[in-house]
Amino acid sequence: MSSLRDPRQSIQYMLHTAVYDICFSPCGGYIAAANKFGNVALFSLTAALSPSVQDEAKCPVYTFNVYKNGGIYSLTSTETELICAGEGDIQAYQWADIIAKNPKIVWALSIPKKGVFSHPEINSCVIDSSSDKSTLYAGAGDNNIYAWDIESGEYKSCLTGHTDYIHKISLKDNGQGLVSVSEDGSARIWDLRANEISHIVKPFEHEMCARPDLGKWLQCLALDEDNYWLVLGGGPTMSAWHLNTLTPTVTFDTPGVAQNVAMFYEDKIFSAGNSNVLNHWSLTGEHKMAVPLSPTAVYSISINDKSKSNKVMAIAGSSGYVDVCTNFGYKAFSLSFLHPSVY
Amino acid sequence: MSSETDVKKKRLLKSESAPGVSEPKKTKTEDKAMPASEEEEALHRDPVTDLQSFQASCDFLRSSIKNIKQLKLKANSSAEITAVRTDATIHFIHMKKLNRMSHFRCRKVRETTNEAKHKIDQCHLQLQNLLYEAMHLEKEITKCMEFKSKDEEIQLVPVEEFYKHAPESVSKPEVTKSDDHQQMLARLEWELEQRKQLSDQLTKTKSDKEKMSEEIQSKQDYLDTLQPKLSDVLEATRPVQDYLDMPYDRIREEHEKAQHLPVPLYVLYMQASAYREACDKCLHVSIHGDVDAAKSLTSFTFEPEEDSDSDAEDQDKPESKRRRKNQEARKLEKKNRVLKKHPLCVILDLNKGGDAELQLTFYYCLALNIITVNVKVASEAKLKTTCISGGDLLSPEQILDELYPGDHGNESPNVANHYELKKYGLQEMSTYIPLIGRPYLWCQWMGGLQFLKKEVDKAEKDTGSEEADADAPNVTTVRAKHAVSAANMQRTITLLRERMRARLCLLQQLSSLERGIIPISAELLKLYPAKINAHLSSWKRSTYDDLSQLPQADRFIKAGLVKETDLVFIAVIDRGSAKLTAYIVLTANCPQVAPLFILDIVYHSHRTALNDVHVKEMEEEVNLHYPELLLLPPLVKGESSPSNLAALFAPHVGRREQAMTRARDQLLPGQVQRLLMCLDVYLETDTPASSAVPLEIPKEKMMPRTSRGPSRAKPYKYVPELGIFTHRC
Repeated sequence: MSSLRDPRQSIQYMLHTAVYDICFSPCGGYIAAANKFGNVALFSLTAALSPSVQDEAKCPVYTFNVYKNGGIYSLTSTETELICAGEGDIQAYQWADIIAKNPKIVWALSIPKKGVFSHPEINSCVIDSSSDKSTLYAGAGDNNIYAWDIESGEYKSCLTGHTDYIHKISLKDNGQGLVSVSEDGSARIWDLRANEISHIVKPFEHEMCARPDLGKWLQCLALDEDNYWLVLGGGPTMSAWHLNTLTPTVTFDTPGVAQNVAMFYEDKIFSAGNSNVLNHWSLTGEHKMAVPLSPTAVYSISINDKSKSNKVMAIAGSSGYVDVCTNFGYKAFSLSFLHPSVY
Repeated sequence: MSSETDVKKKRLLKSESAPGVSEPKKTKTEDKAMPASEEEEALHRDPVTDLQSFQASCDFLRSSIKNIKQLKLKANSSAEITAVRTDATIHFIHMKKLNRMSHFRCRKVRETTNEAKHKIDQCHLQLQNLLYEAMHLEKEITKCMEFKSKDEEIQLVPVEEFYKHAPESVSKPEVTKSDDHQQMLARLEWELEQRKQLSDQLTKTKSDKEKMSEEIQSKQDYLDTLQPKLSDVLEATRPVQDYLDMPYDRIREEHEKAQHLPVPLYVLYMQASAYREACDKCLHVSIHGDVDAAKSLTSFTFEPEEDSDSDAEDQDKPESKRRRKNQEARKLEKKNRVLKKHPLCVILDLNKGGDAELQLTFYYCLALNIITVNVKVASEAKLKTTCISGGDLLSPEQILDELYPGDHGNESPNVANHYELKKYGLQEMSTYIPLIGRPYLWCQWMGGLQFLKKEVDKAEKDTGSEEADADAPNVTTVRAKHAVSAANMQRTITLLRERMRARLCLLQQLSSLERGIIPISAELLKLYPAKINAHLSSWKRSTYDDLSQLPQADRFIKAGLVKETDLVFIAVIDRGSAKLTAYIVLTANCPQVAPLFILDIVYHSHRTALNDVHVKEMEEEVNLHYPELLLLPPLVKGESSPSNLAALFAPHVGRREQAMTRARDQLLPGQVQRLLMCLDVYLETDTPASSAVPLEIPKEKMMPRTSRGPSRAKPYKYVPELGIFTHRC
């Protein structure tokens, strides 16, 4: 598709694009980035990190289109497959096929239709592979969380309860529970064994973190490894909630800036949002560092823990560039969605 | 007594001393006194006897004297003395007479002698005369002898021929055969006759010739008078030709002129005429300029070697003062020579008689081997008047900028020119553009000149530079090719047309926008909601410099989407306390390249794409998703809309593509309208859900969802069928 466009238009697309999610390949040598125009670009980390790095190495090895008319909001990886979700069906591709530059849809799942005009998007996907049967959970634009059996592609269940679309979901307790955050401002903790809601948290109502001038939506969700802390953010100030008591204990204040993503890493919390910085926090709420980035809004942070040699952090957002940090304290370089020959 | 004797003695002595001589004297002196008889007597007497008588007298006297003396000595002998004396006296008288006689005689002899002498003299004179006469006659004779008759010079017919041809009456053989002289006379006569005849013939022929030449002259005069009449007739038929649209004469004249065009312009002219003939009647091609100058220039060859030689001399020789003084003048002259244009030019009128005429005057630079163009836009006054922000859209400098991508016409497409100009100490091409016109690439193509592109021939350029320095005729290596011109003609003419049309259209749109009215055609209006609350409050011209100050414009400038040559406008859109400032960048080939919008919203806070993704999304709506603003004709199977541009640059612009370009004309107003709509959506969804403060801008639009996806995108897309706003998905 991009080959049909003239250079000027390609640049236009590049300038207006946003990368919603990034995902490292199981081997750790590649990074896939999905943008708002439905394209997935594959970058070679090995090449980009090699000592004799050239400009070409910072460009996609291969780009393919998943959705014609909409963005890809979520990339999830299994041992062999890359699962794309967004404005359309959930589609799975073999990593090997993508790397061989010949991607084929291995399987696809679609949300049960509920009306003529509803085209709910899928904003977040997680895979529960703890049991024998892997289950795919998807937080959708129609306020529901759907579950499928990956092997058979069988539709399993639906979690309903949110009143606005779901921004993000995350598994807890080894797949026994699930946390979802939504545009409606609530975070819900689900008991997957019973497919029931167990708790509702509404930070916008809590005086510690409410920011009525920004809004109530929750977009930022992170759980620590021990499932002790729950980090919620969005319109309200990002805050760490004690999972047992479901009370906010620490706030991570970013005045006027909504946080979109957060992650625990070792004893730190990384978060980023609608500003061009990556924040480093201590668990006590101390702001350690702000790393400047190229995107003006960040939608995805990912650390490549699959390969020791390519252990980097990749940050993507509302820009055609994916920032890569080798040392998490500063941006090492950017991967560009556009081939430099276009310039 | 004694004294008397003394005297007598003396007398005697005297007469005695010269008796012979004194006698004639005596006769002379006594001529009167003496009767003539004595003279005659003297003549008759014999002198010899006189001499003897004289001697006898003398002897007597002597003896008498001696007697006297002896008598004297004898004393008293007087008587005797007297007697002797008397005798002596008688003798004395006789002696006297003799003396006289002798004198007479002498005189007589003298007279005769004189007489004889006189006679001799006369004779001598006569002799002399005669001798002279003789000599003269001799001379005359020799002269006569030497006389050459003219007839000898005359070349006569040979004798045989003469007898053969001459009539008997002239030749008279019986006489002439024997007599050479007569023969000659006859021959001469015959010659004369013949010559007379020939002479007559000559005069006759001459008169004939004169008559004929007179006749010719009169005929010539007649023909001459015919020419103006014929041209009058031709002139008179012009209106008919025009009326019938058959301008044969003009075409013929033009073609004649075209013979004197330089090759590239000829190619241009020919191809343009051919194109006009075949496809495009609105095109008007003509040749202007001084044909005579062109004729004299046909032999023009630019000789850089010659000049370079003189340059070399300059360096070699110690510069004289005169030289230095002239250097300025020479430089100017050199410049004029290098930049010399051919006196003829080809004028292309597009849209003759239309709203606005585009007149292109093509010149050919002889030395630089490039074609330059001067642009003239003649638009009707009404178009120019109202538009302030786009006043320079039709300026000759701007209108044809980037007809083909990157072609600003600022530098010579002929790389060799760079070196050439440098060699002559001139500046870069761009300095002389007001002088010679703009050398756009497409001008060269139209003239069949194809130069290597600058980017491609970097290596060649380097090697070429040495050559160019060594021998400058490199300039002429590029020759005009018809194929090049033919391949580009249609495309270029179409582009020129399109450009002109697009500019006029844009001008109208701008003047409308300045008044705050967004000129959306009725059929397109249905693409937008009926009620739009935001309104365009101002439309102004801005500059690239102002734009480059904006941090949010940085990424566009870095990406090369905004260039210094682009036109920048500022539109201010208001709704309530919110103010949207849109910087709109129009490239030269707008709307083929969609206008670029860079936004800036002031609503509670200052928001740009850098701090608000929704502003960025709004930019995306107008900058990227503009094709849906146009009622594009149905797509051909397998074609996707973003390839519109590619289709536009295709050599054959089909009907669909033309319709597409027409549709693109509506792009700018469509984008502005879209922006108003997006601002409404932006402001109406900018309300925090949990906010307790009363909203300034209530949600009026139908929106099934106000945000979607990780970026919480706003529903900027309008669905006209349902009248709702949705997300782009």
